[in-house]
Amino acid sequence: MEKKLTLDTFLEYTLIILIISAIAFVGNWIYSDVGLMESLPGILILLCVAFVGLTLEKIIPVNIPAIVYISIIGLLVAMPYSPVGAAVAEYTGKVQMLPLATPVLAFAGVSMGKDWAAFRKIGWRGILVAACVMVGTFVGSAIVAQFILMGQGLI
Amino acid sequence: MDSMKNILKNWKFYLVVFVIVCISEKIGLVSIPLGPGNLMFLPLLYAMAISLILYLIKAFPLVGPAQEKMAGKFIVIGISVFIAKVGVQSGAAIESVIKAGPALLLQELGNLGTIFIALPIALLLGFGREAVGMTHSIAREPNVGLIASKYGLDSPEGRGVMIIYIVGTLIGTIFMGLMSSILASFTPLHPFSIAMATGVGSGSMMAAASAPLITMFPDMETEITAYAGMSNLLSTADGIYMTIFLGLPLCNFLYKKLSPIIGQDRKKKA
Repeated sequence: MEKKLTLDTFLEYTLIILIISAIAFVGNWIYSDVGLMESLPGILILLCVAFVGLTLEKIIPVNIPAIVYISIIGLLVAMPYSPVGAAVAEYTGKVQMLPLATPVLAFAGVSMGKDWAAFRKIGWRGILVAACVMVGTFVGSAIVAQFILMGQGLI
Repeated sequence: MDSMKNILKNWKFYLVVFVIVCISEKIGLVSIPLGPGNLMFLPLLYAMAISLILYLIKAFPLVGPAQEKMAGKFIVIGISVFIAKVGVQSGAAIESVIKAGPALLLQELGNLGTIFIALPIALLLGFGREAVGMTHSIAREPNVGLIASKYGLDSPEGRGVMIIYIVGTLIGTIFMGLMSSILASFTPLHPFSIAMATGVGSGSMMAAASAPLITMFPDMETEITAYAGMSNLLSTADGIYMTIFLGLPLCNFLYKKLSPIIGQDRKKKA
């Protein structure tokens, strides 16, 4: 399966990343005590990691989602064994995790709007089952993790 | 050049989002003491609520159906920077991640817990084959796609998965965040275990669920972020295979066994 990355697509996601990063950059400054200039290298590093990951997804012919590439690249550059590890960890440490999610969720609110009508039509029974589904997966995983971590003596 | 022009055209929309984000971050974390623990409210929740409300009141032309498609693109691509941060934090804590490897891998099986808890309840509430669509997994996009290709979206199973998908989309983030606060405050579960459980394959759910943990246990922040991030990565990568080979077959099997007893099929037997 051949993948073609057009200039148009490339510019599109580049622009989106820049806009989101800019918004998150200011958001992070408001949320945390870290100065704007101080957090600049960190946000640039993160946006590069994200950018490379997205590009790889578009170029590599196998059907692997971008988040896999991004996570792996992030892991590799930040590991203590990596030559840039300490620097990456220090700079990106100035950017908090939560403010990076805030802009995404602001966009998500708009997206949710379109499902609102459908949501209203779902009765309490559907909502109850959905709640059970979420509880089931959350608690199920937490319990398994708890037993194994206890068995390993890690907690 | 069209896509790029399209993006630039909507600059006013991004400005609105920017203002929403600034307001949300300014409000910051709100922690409400509840018994021995806390209920946490986060900027990302305010941002979501504000933009949803702006959309629904329709009086605000800049936030409406015309922006839906753009919003969709920004969500999918925008989450990348967040995931980059999670990846980097996991990398910095790689030793902890490796040590906790077995737990991280095996807790993926815990995601099957949804079948045992939710299926019987769905059946008791009167759902038929919908119950299988509803409870075989947490119903994010990959699972909706799977059910769509296997049964079609206009089938009872398809209707079921769409119900959970929509409810999950609308209240999932808040719900996961609340569950996290509650489990951390009221149960003996360790924050590490809860952190691993927050990874279900959705970046925003993971963000909302891990944030209260980090706030409640700041000295464990590194491990919590690393475990949550790794767990989310694993769920994204293996989620669909877990569903195809384990989740869906298991759910169908349980449905066949339980439906004659507590489900719609008990009428047929009589």
